[in-house]
Amino acid sequence: MIVQLIVTGISLGVVYGLIGMGMVLIFRAVGIVNFAQGDFLMLGAFICFALNQKMGMPIWFSFAITAVLIGLSGIVFQFVTYWPLRNAQDKTIIVSTLGASIALREMTKLIWGSTPQTIDPLKKGVVRIGGAILQWQYVLIIIFAAILMGLVYFLLEKTLLGNIMQATAQDKYAASLMGIPIVVAIGLTFFISMLITGAGGVMLAPIFFITNTMGVMAGVKAFAAVVIGGFGSVQGAIIGGLLIGLVEVFAGTFVSTTYKDTVVFAVLIISLLIRPQGIFGEKIAEKA
Amino acid sequence: MKNLKKKNLIILFLVVLGLALLINLPLRSTTYMVRVFNMTMITYLAVLSLYVVFGMAGQSSFAQCGLMGIGAYITANMSTKWGFAPIVGMLASMLGTALFAFIIGFALFRLKRFYFSFSTIALMTILNGIFANWVKGTGGSMGMGNLVQFSVGGYVFNTEIKYFYLITSFSIVATIIIWKLFRSPLGRSFMAVRDNETAASCMGINNLLTKNIAFAISGLLCGLSGSLFAFLSGYISATSFALPQSQLYLVVIMIGGSSSPIGALIGSILINLLPEWLRFLKDYMMLIYGIGIMGLMVVLPEGIVGGGKDLYAKFIKRKRSRVDA
Repeated sequence: MIVQLIVTGISLGVVYGLIGMGMVLIFRAVGIVNFAQGDFLMLGAFICFALNQKMGMPIWFSFAITAVLIGLSGIVFQFVTYWPLRNAQDKTIIVSTLGASIALREMTKLIWGSTPQTIDPLKKGVVRIGGAILQWQYVLIIIFAAILMGLVYFLLEKTLLGNIMQATAQDKYAASLMGIPIVVAIGLTFFISMLITGAGGVMLAPIFFITNTMGVMAGVKAFAAVVIGGFGSVQGAIIGGLLIGLVEVFAGTFVSTTYKDTVVFAVLIISLLIRPQGIFGEKIAEKA
Repeated sequence: MKNLKKKNLIILFLVVLGLALLINLPLRSTTYMVRVFNMTMITYLAVLSLYVVFGMAGQSSFAQCGLMGIGAYITANMSTKWGFAPIVGMLASMLGTALFAFIIGFALFRLKRFYFSFSTIALMTILNGIFANWVKGTGGSMGMGNLVQFSVGGYVFNTEIKYFYLITSFSIVATIIIWKLFRSPLGRSFMAVRDNETAASCMGINNLLTKNIAFAISGLLCGLSGSLFAFLSGYISATSFALPQSQLYLVVIMIGGSSSPIGALIGSILINLLPEWLRFLKDYMMLIYGIGIMGLMVVLPEGIVGGGKDLYAKFIKRKRSRVDA
């Protein structure tokens, strides 16, 4: 029972962590908070639904295509919401992403309707680990999220491309003097950010129903994960995500299912009061 | 001197004209349209509360709709369940919500900027969870129905038109008070905190307390708005007080312009009346609206009022430079 809960919590947590990581990447690159991140999760789930259920492609294949498509849509998103406003105030960009979030939600509703949908799990059946019976889906989510996180870490820290992105994030002007094409670096950041978010959506889809509002709660919880972990810190987002996922599952079991979200956000407020800068955050830098 | 008198006369004329229009408006509209006007004014009160905390004090709050919900539920409990006079329920909503905002503010305003915004998102979600699940106090997911009508000393507000006059007069009073606040030392201290906290504390302003007072005033307005909403619709449930609605209020004030109550009014009118005029768009309405917000932020980052001011400044400047030359 406990093992099951822990695995469920971790698998939800890594998905929140993935979305949170996407937010952190964007925040580090351009200094804004993307309020439409959760809606890209929803979009990913819907695109995978279209490929998997409507066109009958195998789930793995549609997973891969979805990830790439969502990444590309991230680049489009960047050119629509961020690029024209890059010199404007933060609040303007935030409202622009809120507008994008409404537009995305309505677009999917117009295309795929508002009835809840579902897709094939990555692998059917259960696995037994030391007496605990676990669904493959949860186990695969953890494995996959770990692989994705590892890849992003490798890309950011060990490759030239990662250096370019980090240089752009730190100082756009200096980076452009070094001959780095800023727009490409930022576009790439949005691509990766949305790719991991969309992948998270595909992985969550078999567990929850796919609706056009599924991204709202997931997005807000990913925010919570990022804030608990420390804004701007990638490993913080992952740790925060795990914490949120575990709290959610345990609160749902031991407190009450109806109040689990309330408990999650109470944890957020408490953690903000105790350590406002987050677990891995430095003293709040007044960035942006 | 003469100029001043002329200006006063013009303002007086405009006020009289506006009042005449307002009094006539519901009499010449269908009941349905009056309902839409009423909802517009309720939205306006909520957005006005956001003007205090976001426009003046610079703290982007996502909890306004939750505060509105507190006001609505206090009214529903007081006046329908426990049988207090409706006006008592309304006062209790306003004061209760303000008190709640003031107290919770001490916790939330320890955080700054984005962190504060996130904590208000958390607060909003917590409040929504309570609204949806606390069966005893809020009726749970069923909500609370059959709420009593608003009445003062035996005079019952039982038609949309009566509510229109009631809500509009509340809105006008609230606007005048907020306008006075803008010019008062307290309002100035809000803006000082918004523009530079370090400088504000150097001038002897207590940042935490100032932000708290701004939040409490916004809570007062939200409580009024929620209370009026409960009386008007006669039924409240948790779905009316959710996070997307709060986000919408922030969008509304950004569309209108966060620099004055007029921006809040323009934004509320646009958001409520546009769907009525654009009926033929049907399902595409919200999609176009979302895209429209993105476009508007590119064209008018300071909102409609800000854009209008820019235009005005340009026009005046051109005129002046012509005179100089």
